[in-house]
Amino acid sequence: MKKYITIIIVSFLAILSCEKDDICIEATTPNLVIRFYNNDIQTDVKDVLLDSVWAIDKDRIEQYKSVSTDSIAIPLNLNENSTTYIIENNSIKDTLKFIYDRKDVFVSRSCGYKTIFENLQIESNSINWIKNININNAIIENDTAAHISIFH
Amino acid sequence: MIQQHIFLFFISILFTVTVNSQAKEQDTIKNKEKYGLRIGVDLSKPINSFFQTETKGLELVSDVRVLRNYYAAVELGFLEKTTNEDYLNFTTKGSYIKAGFNYNAYENWIGMNNEIYVGLRYGLSFFNQTLNSYTPNVYGTYFIPETIEPNTEFKDLTAHWVEFVFGMKVETFNNLFIGASISFNNLISTTDPDNFKNLQIPGFNRVFLNNKGVGFNYTLSYLIPIIKKNK
Repeated sequence: MKKYITIIIVSFLAILSCEKDDICIEATTPNLVIRFYNNDIQTDVKDVLLDSVWAIDKDRIEQYKSVSTDSIAIPLNLNENSTTYIIENNSIKDTLKFIYDRKDVFVSRSCGYKTIFENLQIESNSINWIKNININNAIIENDTAAHISIFH
Repeated sequence: MIQQHIFLFFISILFTVTVNSQAKEQDTIKNKEKYGLRIGVDLSKPINSFFQTETKGLELVSDVRVLRNYYAAVELGFLEKTTNEDYLNFTTKGSYIKAGFNYNAYENWIGMNNEIYVGLRYGLSFFNQTLNSYTPNVYGTYFIPETIEPNTEFKDLTAHWVEFVFGMKVETFNNLFIGASISFNNLISTTDPDNFKNLQIPGFNRVFLNNKGVGFNYTLSYLIPIIKKNK
């Protein structure tokens, strides 16, 4: 009888020890993180008064309508190898074209694949309020640290 | 009163003697136990194949009674299954073998051959995975990802694992057994495909996050008696 009790207990433990993996909790496709710095003192973070931020042919990003911020996280187009963004600061627009390679990386059963972006390059067609751009990290794997610094 | 008790006492002694002698007689006739090869099929897999068009599978089961309470057991099977997750769709196809033993913990009445058993298995599987399609997972709806259909086939994958089995078998007609069992699987190792993971392994079933799995089977098997041994 003791044998049975141990068997039953072990079985229940075995069932309970199966971890749920139905809900996606891991980080998926990262955003491009941009941080704004003072062009005169390049180590100083400087806020930007954003009127709006949008990708060409897209709506304005809800989160960045008339806000003052020192950093933004914007999604990149994962169906194409480039995304063109327009960033409007104090009614002055600047256009930035991000060019990159895409790579799909397996995450888990519930999350599936995420897209990471490599060999990031920037084409800037206009220099209005943005004075200088620096790529800190050409590989966008996560959105914990800034990938780009913009000096203004 | 005392007389009555003495009378009952003697009667009961007589009864036990006669009952004992009867039991002994029965023992000599009926107490032979069958040893042999039992072969069968897992009924749950063809039934699953019938109701789920994206699943095809078959499992043959067999065991041999080695000692009075110990049975050497082997299971052979194949599975083709398409799994659809939120962001993934893949097909697993392959075959497997499981080998081990069962210990029958059930004390049968004379003439019965039923089992309630615990067992251990070592499982080995050879299979392919085909990643049919996936949709890159992105938070938000600013850019809506397109579903990609790479149809990549990952070939020559293997996995091996250990199973803890708990089940029962009942003799319904002479030599015909119906059985059901549940198994708790623990993955030892597997060759994971490049940039993908074995989320389903034939024989092991769904691979949970901590490399564990559960299996069920419902078998119909026939015993080919080879020898009869005394208890």
